[in-house]
Amino acid sequence: MSTRTRFPADRGLTARMTLTVFLLGLLYALFVTVLFLVGLKLVFILVIAFVLLFVQYFYSDRIALYSMGGKIVTREQAPQLHGVVDRLVALADMPKPQVAIANVDMPNAFATGRDQKHAVVCVTTGILRRLDEPELEAVLAHELSHVAHRDVAVMTIASFLGILAGLLTRVLAYAGLFGGFGGGGGNRNQGGGGGGQIALVELGMLAFSALVYAISFVLIRTLSRYRELAADRSGAILIGQPRLLAQALVKVSGEMSRIPTRDLRAAEHFNAFFFAPAFAKGVSLSSLFSTHPTLEKRLDQLTKLEAQMGRAA
Amino acid sequence: MKLFDVLLGRTKPAQPNLDHLFGLPGAQITLEASLGLRPTGQAGVCFKPATGQDFSQTSSEVTQLLDLGEGVKIHEESDSYGYRWAVIADDDFGDLINEVHVVNTTLQDHGWGPQLLCSVFGFSPIPGGAADPTAGGGAPSVAGTYLVYLYKRGSFYPFVPLQAAEKRDTDRERLLNVTLATDLSMEPDLERWFPLWGLPVH
Repeated sequence: MSTRTRFPADRGLTARMTLTVFLLGLLYALFVTVLFLVGLKLVFILVIAFVLLFVQYFYSDRIALYSMGGKIVTREQAPQLHGVVDRLVALADMPKPQVAIANVDMPNAFATGRDQKHAVVCVTTGILRRLDEPELEAVLAHELSHVAHRDVAVMTIASFLGILAGLLTRVLAYAGLFGGFGGGGGNRNQGGGGGGQIALVELGMLAFSALVYAISFVLIRTLSRYRELAADRSGAILIGQPRLLAQALVKVSGEMSRIPTRDLRAAEHFNAFFFAPAFAKGVSLSSLFSTHPTLEKRLDQLTKLEAQMGRAA
Repeated sequence: MKLFDVLLGRTKPAQPNLDHLFGLPGAQITLEASLGLRPTGQAGVCFKPATGQDFSQTSSEVTQLLDLGEGVKIHEESDSYGYRWAVIADDDFGDLINEVHVVNTTLQDHGWGPQLLCSVFGFSPIPGGAADPTAGGGAPSVAGTYLVYLYKRGSFYPFVPLQAAEKRDTDRERLLNVTLATDLSMEPDLERWFPLWGLPVH
C-alpha cells in the first residue's frame, strides 16, 4: 500500500503498515543506537530487538484499533454490518473477525490482527455514511481478504527483517570502529584530531545505515502495494462483482479529495508517519488522492476481472 | 502450499461441499419423531450473484431445469444483503432435496460453486403435535423453524426466529442441535450460526 494509495479500503492498511514500519524503524534505531552508545553488547541488542518484534506482532490488533479510535461493536449494536460480515465469511469459509466502528468522518476501513483468530475489521462512520450497501460489502470483502492473506503478520515480519539488516550493518560497523581504536591506542591520548575523525566516521555510518533503511523501506512499500492489489483481487472475486469495489474506490477517493485539509489532519498521527520519510516528494495529500496512478492501476485490475467474470467457464 | 499462498497474498475461492445434504431424510424422521416437526415443503438456495452473462445464463438454466419437474414450483428473490434466493416448493421432501441439489450442481458445474452461501429448509409443527403452539405448550411465538446448510463448511445449523423483530429462540435452536447431532453434521462453531432475518422461505 504504500503511502500513495490512500483510498478508504486500504487507508487503514496503509496507516497500519506505515505505523508498523515507522514505529519499528524508529524504535529499533533509537533503542539500538542508544543502547550501543551506553555500551551494551550485540547480543543484548538482538534480544531487545526480538522482544520489540514480539510485542509488535502480538499487539498489532490493539495498537491499530487504538490509534484509529475504533470500538468493537456487537451484533445488537450494528446488526446490518454484522450481517454483511457474517455472509462474507460464510462465503469465503473463514472465521469471523471482530467488527469495529471508528467514529471518524474520514471514509476509511482497515483490517488488523496477526491471524484470523485475532482479526478485527474496522470501518469509520464516514465510510458507512457515504457508501451504499453493496459498495460497503465490497470494501469489507477487500478487508477480509487482508485478514485471509495474513497481511499484518507478513508485513510486520518483512519490515523487521529489513530494519534488522540495516541495524546489523550499522552495529557491525561500530564494532569494527571501536575494535580498531581499542587495538591501536589503548587509552585515549590521541587528542583533538582523533575526536574529529571519530565524528566523521560516525557521520558516514549514519548515512550508510540510513541508506540501508531507506532501501528496505522502499521494498516494504512495494510489497505492500502488491498485497493491496492482491486484496482487491480476492475481495472482488469473493463478491463476484469487481465493479462494486471499483465504484467504492472511486467514490471514496473522490470524497477524500473534496474534504478540506483540516479534516484530513484529524488523522495526523498517521500522516506524520507517512510523510516523515524522505521519499514523499512533497506531494500534497489531496493530489495524492485524486491523481495518483495507483488508483488507475487498481481500477484497471478490477475492470479486467469484471471482463473475466463475464466469460468464466 | 499454504505458506506460499500467505506469502503471495492469495486465496482460492472456497468450493462448496454438497454431500451432506443427503443426511436430511434421516433428520426429517428424527424431527418428526422427537420434536413433532415436519417439512413445510419449501427450501431456498442462497447465492451471491456474480456479474456478467455467464452467471445470468446459468441461473436461468437452473430455473428452466426445475420448471420441467412435476409438482415443483421455483421462483427467485433478492434479499436486502444483495443475495439471490432460488425458492423451491415441493411437497415431497425427498424430491425437494434433489431439486436443491440440482441448483447446487448446476451452479457448480458452471464454475460458480464459490457463489453458494447456504440453503435453507423450512419445518413447521405438526398440528396437535408436541411442537404445536396452539396445543398449549406455552412456547414463545416462533416465526418458523429452519435448518440452514452452510455449503463451504458442509454443516448444518438450526435457525428459529421469533415473531418479535430480529430475535431468535436460542433454547430451541440448541435443542434442535442436540437432537440432530446423530443425523447431520452440525456446525460446532456457534459464531457461524448467523441469523437470516426476513428469509423468503417458509
